Amino acid sequence: MDTISDDDLILYHYRDGLAPERLAEIETALAAMSEVRERYEAIVRTLSEVDALPAPTADADFAQRLWRQLEPRLRADDAIARRRTWRDYAHALHVWLNPPRLAWAAACVLALAVGIGFYAGRQSAPTPDALAQARADAAAMRVLDAYVAEHLRATEGVLVTASNSDSTELLDGNRELAASLVEANRMYATAATRAGNTRLADFLRQLEPVLISLANPSQSAPVQPTDGLRDYLRATDLLFQVRATEARLQRTGERRT
Amino acid sequence: MTTDEARWIARASEGDAAAFRHLVDAHATQLFRVCARITGDKALAEDAVQEALINAYRHLRDFDGRSAFTTWLHRIAVNAALEQLRRRSRHEAAMPEDEAGDAFVELAESDPGPDRHARSAEIRREIEGELARMSAIERTAFVLRHHEGQSLEDISATLSLSISSSKQAIFRAVRKLRAVLEPVE
Repeated sequence: MDTISDDDLILYHYRDGLAPERLAEIETALAAMSEVRERYEAIVRTLSEVDALPAPTADADFAQRLWRQLEPRLRADDAIARRRTWRDYAHALHVWLNPPRLAWAAACVLALAVGIGFYAGRQSAPTPDALAQARADAAAMRVLDAYVAEHLRATEGVLVTASNSDSTELLDGNRELAASLVEANRMYATAATRAGNTRLADFLRQLEPVLISLANPSQSAPVQPTDGLRDYLRATDLLFQVRATEARLQRTGERRT
Repeated sequence: MTTDEARWIARASEGDAAAFRHLVDAHATQLFRVCARITGDKALAEDAVQEALINAYRHLRDFDGRSAFTTWLHRIAVNAALEQLRRRSRHEAAMPEDEAGDAFVELAESDPGPDRHARSAEIRREIEGELARMSAIERTAFVLRHHEGQSLEDISATLSLSISSSKQAIFRAVRKLRAVLEPVE
């Protein structure tokens, strides 16, 4: 019985954290032992003093004041949540359509557009095959332009980050992005060749070694990170060419629609 | 939870601000009381209630009804109050003990209860000072057990502590309060 500690008595007071048998033991000890009873009474007195402290109360206009402050925040929160929903969809699509997958999607859409054009040309009797094929080609080129423009925008971002950033974390992410762009770049070059756009295909082939260097910075040629890249970009005007080609593809894409 | 409250929760989770206002009106005072006991500062308590309610609004869809709405809301408020204390301690590297004690004294004096005059002002100040000097976890665990009547299990969940750690925090708090009174006894 004398093993009943003050901690046990605190738990007994709150009737929490003790097994029923232990509660019964303490009850018995309190009835039988004055020493345990005195310790328990001291705890109860302490807690009663705490109870005697005035409870903190809010100002009379607290709820009103609170609501006045809350309401605009809730409204702003709702607006952000709505915007975020659209941004989330866009982001999810962007994440899902990572560069290699994007390139595959572009290639598939291109092939589908050519196929539909060919089929339509065969089926629609009054329309000459050539016209249907031309429409399909235009649609396919529009798709390719849009995808390549997006690819070049990502490439531009990689080049700018690699030449301007000193953050290791950012550069690590940039290397991963560059690596993912290499494969896509190759596929777009092939698609451009097939579509007869040799100028675009040549330009994309020119980009490939740069992307490979950025994806594998340990390899020396042709670009060394940061300072080397800055010099290389300045010497070759590559960044300007990327931006110009991207803008041209957007313009031609818009004209085709 | 009343039927009305369940309806307000459902509507508020769909973004109905008027329904949320019903919930605010129903719970703000209680939330203020627990936050004020934890922070010992009216302004911090008000900020904590506001942050707690914003958080609750954002996560109303996550409220699955497994615990009572009041318990869920109080859990958010307790953490908001602790966050306010953390922010304050970041801004004031070390708060002088006297000043900390004063915050509690000021809080208590703002609303003198009927028993106040029957108590020794000295004992009251000592207790308030001791509550202010305790660690935030000791004070919070004690407030939740003693004033809010929460079970050790709920306290552990709210404070992300084991039941044993919650018990120890309460024991330390009571021991410190007893030490204040013992010289008087």
